[in-house]
Amino acid sequence: ALRPLLLRSPQALYHSYEHNEPPPYREPESAILSAALTHVPSHGFTQHALTLGAKDASYLDISANLFPKGVFDLIKYHLVTQRLGLKDRIQFHDENMGVGRKVRSLILERLRANADAGLVGRWQEALAIMSLAENIPPSLRELGLLADEIWFLSGDTAVDTSWYTKRASLSGVYAAAEVYQTTDQSTEFRDTEQFVDRRLEEVRVMGSAVAGTLRFLNFEAGTSVNLLRSKGVRI
Amino acid sequence: ATEPKPESLHQPQPARRKPLTAAQKDFLDRALRVNHAGELAATLIYTAQSPPINKAHPHLRPLMKHMYDQEAGHFATFSHLLARHRIRPTAMYPIWSAAATFLGWSTGVMGREAAMACTEAVETEIGEHYNGQVREFLGWVKEMEERGEEVGEELRTLVEDVRRIRDEELEHLDHAVENDAKEANPYELLTGVIRVGCRGAIWVTERV
Repeated sequence: ALRPLLLRSPQALYHSYEHNEPPPYREPESAILSAALTHVPSHGFTQHALTLGAKDASYLDISANLFPKGVFDLIKYHLVTQRLGLKDRIQFHDENMGVGRKVRSLILERLRANADAGLVGRWQEALAIMSLAENIPPSLRELGLLADEIWFLSGDTAVDTSWYTKRASLSGVYAAAEVYQTTDQSTEFRDTEQFVDRRLEEVRVMGSAVAGTLRFLNFEAGTSVNLLRSKGVRI
Repeated sequence: ATEPKPESLHQPQPARRKPLTAAQKDFLDRALRVNHAGELAATLIYTAQSPPINKAHPHLRPLMKHMYDQEAGHFATFSHLLARHRIRPTAMYPIWSAAATFLGWSTGVMGREAAMACTEAVETEIGEHYNGQVREFLGWVKEMEERGEEVGEELRTLVEDVRRIRDEELEHLDHAVENDAKEANPYELLTGVIRVGCRGAIWVTERV
């Protein structure tokens, strides 16, 4: 029998390389939702698309009612599968590519995934559904997990406070870019690419300004203490 | 009649490598985060203690350097594990950094015995903490062996690393006691406050 989707995702915790996770969606759910996604470009993010998906996957129409959050489950399926598929869509072979450039490539690839699925025209509906009060926490969680995935795939290994600031800033950049993409009419989404470049440049400038200030203050504090010590003050 | 007769052909084989349970992942997540924060605090304590201690007691310089180098190695080990296994570091990072620097500086300024008492208190708490972790991991390994599951390199190297680090921390404890940690003047107060502080910090870091 079909059961409600995963209640608690352990993905946010320890990631093991030897004890592999089972896939996040079981076969029947995965079949219905992936079929439903193919109907979204023509029918939008609606219960009707879910029903058509259930029919395509050879289940009864009523099977669509088994997704407790309805259309939001469909959106979440797209978000989860695209996030987990990001490492298969793009692999880095250039050893000299910096982390920043890898992050840029990953963001653009994820945005391209929205376009490849044909969902950009309907994504404003999805954003509206995601902004409903009961859907905001899981949507933010998915955004955070995507930011974590992008930083991990780009090879970042810092585990100090910047772990938090990097994910926060990347979440902001990606969310803004996704919204911008829904209004982008240029060929191959070149305007969105430039938008992402401008946002990443802003993040870079802000980051280096803050880091420089902190380094300066740290240096001043250390030097004052050492200076006093050299004068014989017992600290 | 000349065919080999393996037993496993007719017996159902259990799954060789199962995914970790949610409770196990939760434990690993919290344990490694706390270990990382603990080693961060240890390196900062020694960094802050060393200038006043080395100035007043130059003969302690090699010992302080040796202990600092080992703590820096532990910190690197856990940083690497956190990044590799995608574990969230503690959000209290800047607060623990400030607190550890203050603790190291104040005990360093109080004198050699106080600095050693601080080391003794911290290492006692840390030693107990690591012991609990090793016990838990070994329990898992035993259960896996009983069920016929493969333990895997990941868990095995983790147990060995934590054991080695625990042994080095207990060695620091011994050095601290050898260097008159028990002679510190408000001994009970100092070690009591530090041990309670450590336990509180561990509790907070497991969650935040």
